[in-house]
Amino acid sequence: MFMLAIFIVLILLSFATFFMGTRAGVFAKSSAALILMLTVVYAFLNFSGTGAGGFTSESTYAFASGIGIYFSIGVDGLTVSLLILSAVISLIALLIANRKEYTASFYGLMLLTETGLFGILLSRDFLFFYIFWEIVLVPMYFIIGRYGGERKDTVSLKFFVYTHIGSVFILLSILTLFSYYYSYSGVFTLQMSTLLNSAFINNSGYLPLFWKDFMLFGFLLGFLVKLPSFPLHSWLPDSYTTAPYPATVMLAGGLSLMGGYGLFGILLPIYSTINITVLWVLIALGIISLLYFAFTAMFQMNMKRMMAYASASAMGFVTISFAAGILDSTLSIRSIELSGGIFQIVAHGIIMALIFSVLYFITENTGKENIYQMGGVHREMPWLSSFLLAGFLASLGLPGLAGFIGEFSIVVGMFQTVGWLIFFVILAMIVTASYHIWTAQRSLYGAYNENLGKIKDASRSEIAILASVTLVIFVLGVYPNLIFGIISAYVGGII
Amino acid sequence: MYIFAWLIFILPLISFPLALFIGKYRRNLAGIIASSLIGLSLVFSVLTYFDVQNNGIIYESFHWFSNINFGIYVDNLTLIMLLMVSFVSLMIQLFSIYYMKDDPNRHVYFAETSLFTAGMLGLVESSNLVFFFLFWELVGLCSYLLIGFWFFKPNAASAAKKAFIVTRVGDLLFLIGMSVLYTSLSGSSLLSPGQSPLSIPTIINLISSNSARFVSVVGSTNLGIITLLFLGGVAGKSSQFPLHVWIPDAMEGPATVSALIHAATMVTAGIYLVARVFPLYEVAPSYSLITVAILGAFTALFAGILGIVMNDIKRILAYSTISQLGYMLAAIGLSGIIGSIGVSLGMYHLIVHAMFKALLFMSAGAIMIALMDLRNVKEMGGLWRKMPVTVSLMFIGAITLAALPPTAAFFSKDAIIAGAWEYFSLSNGSIIYLLPWIFLTIGAFLTAIYTFRMFFLVALGKPRSHLAEHAKDAPLIALIPLFFLAALSLVLGLFQGGFYNFIYPVYRGIDPSSVITYSAPGIIQYIPLILALFGILITYVIYGTERWKHIDASKSWFYRVTKEKFYLDYLFTRLIAERTIIPVSGSIADVEYSYNAGIEKFGSKSLGFGSFLRKMQTGLVENYFLVIVLGMTLVFIVLIIGGAF
Repeated sequence: MFMLAIFIVLILLSFATFFMGTRAGVFAKSSAALILMLTVVYAFLNFSGTGAGGFTSESTYAFASGIGIYFSIGVDGLTVSLLILSAVISLIALLIANRKEYTASFYGLMLLTETGLFGILLSRDFLFFYIFWEIVLVPMYFIIGRYGGERKDTVSLKFFVYTHIGSVFILLSILTLFSYYYSYSGVFTLQMSTLLNSAFINNSGYLPLFWKDFMLFGFLLGFLVKLPSFPLHSWLPDSYTTAPYPATVMLAGGLSLMGGYGLFGILLPIYSTINITVLWVLIALGIISLLYFAFTAMFQMNMKRMMAYASASAMGFVTISFAAGILDSTLSIRSIELSGGIFQIVAHGIIMALIFSVLYFITENTGKENIYQMGGVHREMPWLSSFLLAGFLASLGLPGLAGFIGEFSIVVGMFQTVGWLIFFVILAMIVTASYHIWTAQRSLYGAYNENLGKIKDASRSEIAILASVTLVIFVLGVYPNLIFGIISAYVGGII
Repeated sequence: MYIFAWLIFILPLISFPLALFIGKYRRNLAGIIASSLIGLSLVFSVLTYFDVQNNGIIYESFHWFSNINFGIYVDNLTLIMLLMVSFVSLMIQLFSIYYMKDDPNRHVYFAETSLFTAGMLGLVESSNLVFFFLFWELVGLCSYLLIGFWFFKPNAASAAKKAFIVTRVGDLLFLIGMSVLYTSLSGSSLLSPGQSPLSIPTIINLISSNSARFVSVVGSTNLGIITLLFLGGVAGKSSQFPLHVWIPDAMEGPATVSALIHAATMVTAGIYLVARVFPLYEVAPSYSLITVAILGAFTALFAGILGIVMNDIKRILAYSTISQLGYMLAAIGLSGIIGSIGVSLGMYHLIVHAMFKALLFMSAGAIMIALMDLRNVKEMGGLWRKMPVTVSLMFIGAITLAALPPTAAFFSKDAIIAGAWEYFSLSNGSIIYLLPWIFLTIGAFLTAIYTFRMFFLVALGKPRSHLAEHAKDAPLIALIPLFFLAALSLVLGLFQGGFYNFIYPVYRGIDPSSVITYSAPGIIQYIPLILALFGILITYVIYGTERWKHIDASKSWFYRVTKEKFYLDYLFTRLIAERTIIPVSGSIADVEYSYNAGIEKFGSKSLGFGSFLRKMQTGLVENYFLVIVLGMTLVFIVLIIGGAF
């Protein structure tokens, strides 16, 4: 009930923002802060104490009960951690948005995106899940198309069409499940808990093998587009680069969150239905993503584009974690592997939020995004440059920062399943470290590029924002159990 | 709670923000804060020493995440390291107050060096390999930050990058090793539920209680793989061949940072790792300890050769560090045959080396300050007369490095060489077991040569540059830390036997043989010393006089190959980085570009994006959309409320 209230408040606030005129910015920022606070309070009340992550609250409300459509929302260990993540990244994205051109509708659309994310995570009913899944795209489409940079028309459309095609496959999968469940039981239902039933799915008498594979394929396709995984990533680099920075923060954290939630929230509960070959394909895709995006990132001159690829590369870990975790035979390894994947989603979202925020301020102050147009900027902007370095270090998985916990948990258990393929993963990690550090050397350190003239460092409020995000990354890095415990309990409940 | 033991690394950790923020407003306070907190660490290390001697090993751990714990584990091996690290760091910190007195960013320097020390102290105390790895990387990070401390120097920025990436390669090999260990132990019958497979005391206990069972559960091959992968991490951190390439470049940072890296905080971490998880090496197949011995001995020889052709005073010392680390690692590797005494030999040399290497780097630093950052030894000369105190201190460092009696290194290093002979004589006589002795003995000869080449060029003759003519000693008060280190370099040799007895209980569980110090028979025992004296003599003849000016070695191929550092830098930066990694990433980026362009083209052709685009971008759509969603939501809320009540 409390969660439903938060959700309704969020919906109302996001619509109200559209009508706030010049005060929309402040209103949206405080709304996002309020939502984050309420979500954290909710999480604290229900999930504090270890082992509480298995807790699920589910409430169902009749919507059109005649045709089996209910509105039901629920929260478990996975969704609560992702809810916090979406609240955090939305808050960061809104806080850094400071341009004059951002009108009320910009802020409204941002909050609407958050609403969509909340809706996806909360829905326990496939209809609403799908509706919110689609709703996220629309505000993002408008933000990119209206407030974006170069080629914004083409890019926004590409973003919309590409990810929409992914979503259509999800819809087809849902319909497959829905209709076969009806023909099996004679009941119209879109309830996730009913449809995601391994016994039903695995029984080829109820669900023919072809349609089972079709269903899994559709889900996987839709989720991997969002994650994104090679080779379904084509929307990503352009959208990240063209989107205004606040929206990039939302994209990096939010869309990968959707893909990750799809894998761990929808497919993990029915993991026993997934074919071993499919899992190995996923591992291969994960490793290819890691390497391919890392190498691509290394060659980028534009920092924003480089980080877009870095973000995609980090998501390769999530794919591997999902597939390798299911394949692992030892329970404790399986647990650390899968929990690590989920933790990676959370950590990645916050780390990318930090990096894109810093890049935003740097770009605002220098007017440059290209690595080679900077150089030695640490001299003029020690704060921003230190925060960028902190973000880079977190992104390359340095212990003590959040990125490490996820990557370590995934890598440490990986050997059991993937064996010596682990060397490719390590190679990708080395490449990742290299391009981050190389970029830092070329843009932040060395002789100052005098062409930049006099540039100013971050303002006090900007420093405060960045410092708090860095603090969150640090706290999650040294005390991961804040989130890891909840996630482990969720994973433990399933496997 | 063992408050004192925890505070040892927590205090310098606190010093990081304190020095940074207080130092931001009161620059001079930063050094005092950092020094006093590290001084307290030293005090607590001493207290912990007595605690452990009276009450036994300290072990305390807490749940971290999943089945990973964090905590502290303090036994005699840890104590030795704690005392050494906190003492040497304190000396360096005190000298830094003088050395960095004019740097506008010295508060950052003191904050980062404190963090560096904290990282090393935490690493030493860690009870779990993951916690260990956290500090291991923290140390790597600090070295990155400190090498690039003068970030505006392009060389420094590039050296920092190199240090980070090269050590990272080693670290990730270490990580794979942990993965293999973790997956082989997890879920096995050896562990009770909830026990962390990567806990150091757990591993030690498992091996000492029933090593055969441990080997059968983990698997002999796996153990070999694990130990070799760990060795990869060691090679990165402790700069063993071929991952040593970052250390000479790392000289771009302040000299005190080099002292920290080389003596106390960074490079010894790798040696300590091998000593810490030595039980794993003990039960691993014999090839893994043989690899350790040969790798160490080879590095000792290899770096010694390179040290001779360098002209940069700090680089000479850097290569000497690599070479000495080779000795330590080789000593540990010898334990494969001579028993766990090998670890004691290595650790003893580590402690002695920390003292004299900190001394050498700081006296080099004092010289560089007097000479306006001049680092080329061929432009110095005659400094013994110009700055007698500093150069005398350096002389003590030099004779210790060359292992002349009665300095401490004479006892620590010759014991290793004698152990290497014992290694051969106890083996089956295969030539491979003789290699460590050959390498290490030649290494001793080379050590004397490069050390005294540097010393003679610095100290004797006439000043060869304007700067050298006007050099002056640093104020005595600034040099006090150097006196402490010099004294210890001279007297530590007294504690040889006591030291071995002190380390011995750590490995009693896995190797019950009693402590024996080996002495090689007759003349063989004296070969290293004779060679060293001979080396000094040759060096004096060439470099003690002005004769070296007339020798032109640049024609000989060997000189050129050595000067190019055996083309290893060329291999790594040119062939691997510039000719392989970057072209590969370039072509993959090309593929990615065409893939994206292809998709876009396909999309715009088949879907007719053009006309669609114009329709979508009218601006009206947004309003329509808003109205629709708003309407839907209203209906939906009404229905919910209707359904709920």
